[in-house]
Amino acid sequence: MHYQWDFSVIGDNAGLLLWGLGNTLLLTLIAILIGTPLGLAVALMRLSSRRWLVWPATVYVEVFRAAPALVQLYWLYFALPRLTGLRLGGFEAAAIALSILSSAFLSEVFRGGIASIGKGQWDAARGIGLSYPRMLRTIILPQAIRRMLPVFLERYIELLKTSTIAATVSFGDLLFVAQDISYRTYRTLEIFSAIAVMFFLVILLCSQLTRLVEHRLARSGEFTAR
Amino acid sequence: MDAFLSPSLAISLPALARGLVHTLELAVVCLVASLLLGLVFGVMRYAGGRVLHALAIAYVEVFRNTPVLVQILWFFFALPILVQFEISAFTAAALGLSLNSGAFSAEIFRAGMQAVPKGQWEAANALGMSRTRVMFRIVLPQAVRHMIPAFTNRWIELFKLTSLASVIAYPELVYSAQQISNSYFNPVEVFTLVAVIFIALVIPASYLLRRLEARLRRSAP
Repeated sequence: MHYQWDFSVIGDNAGLLLWGLGNTLLLTLIAILIGTPLGLAVALMRLSSRRWLVWPATVYVEVFRAAPALVQLYWLYFALPRLTGLRLGGFEAAAIALSILSSAFLSEVFRGGIASIGKGQWDAARGIGLSYPRMLRTIILPQAIRRMLPVFLERYIELLKTSTIAATVSFGDLLFVAQDISYRTYRTLEIFSAIAVMFFLVILLCSQLTRLVEHRLARSGEFTAR
Repeated sequence: MDAFLSPSLAISLPALARGLVHTLELAVVCLVASLLLGLVFGVMRYAGGRVLHALAIAYVEVFRNTPVLVQILWFFFALPILVQFEISAFTAAALGLSLNSGAFSAEIFRAGMQAVPKGQWEAANALGMSRTRVMFRIVLPQAVRHMIPAFTNRWIELFKLTSLASVIAYPELVYSAQQISNSYFNPVEVFTLVAVIFIALVIPASYLLRRLEARLRRSAP
């Protein structure tokens, strides 16, 4: 028996697929917007000289980096409501899980970037009497972020791929929409191939942008520390 | 917190243990397969002719630029339509995870081999060694040292990604947890325990791998 391909199902559901893609991007964006500042805060705690700040941050990073993303999501979605009575929807659970997950990974990137700034920069900033927040904002972070930018972008792309787990808790992202269409039309092969291509194009575009940024930075003489 | 003392957790333990065994089985199969795939495609990209080189690039780009969950679901739901035979959850998960991790591994192999100075090739050629012999006797053994840190990260990542096999009902840890929590209504205990099992395996494993890395770096000439 020869399989008859029928791609008309893609055209018929184009609007729905694009809506799913929009949701995927929205979820990723929210996780980036929450996870990045949270990652910075955790990194600063770990770099602090106060031990009561260092060890909770260390435990946070180790725990959330070690547990699989799906387990964290299921814990929030299935276990948390039983424990607290607080019911999270698929979107909320996924947004929180992905924000926490990315903050744990990004804090390590921040930590590396901040630690790579020479002692002299810190001494000079302190020497001209800058307060700690000011020193971070005007001297240390601008340099650290330039160095770590390609690593950040790579992490964000990784996050976009990981965001597909939200489909398992019924958030209407691109993967969920695809499953839904394939149940209705039995055109599983075409639909799943189509969303693979959609992901491929979006992610390829993002990684090309990352490479462009990397080249720019390399040309401007900023070394990329990894 | 006396939920933790509930007898349902004790009943759940054997099922979770079986789930852990399945998780480990899947992880080991994918680790070995992804190393082989990475080696083959890494060498193709590093030293292959034009066609092999293009093939390796296509493989790496396709599997790195699509989500691994989509790959697993594609192999489970879409591939059987194309090849007209049933594909088990284990096979689909192993295919998705191995091919995905293989693409990342190919890049690690390539970067490692590129870090070996060109002079090594020239010296080996001058001794009259064949290309294959240079590859396996001279370049790869030196490259492996550069690759260890990247591979240890990859393997930890792969181990965690086996949890995605639960989505297609392969009875690994997470799927077992879901089944148990559906029967005994104890998601707090079961999902916490599963998280603890992963953490208890991943943290010591990454510590040991980092120690191994440090030792290899010290023994480097």
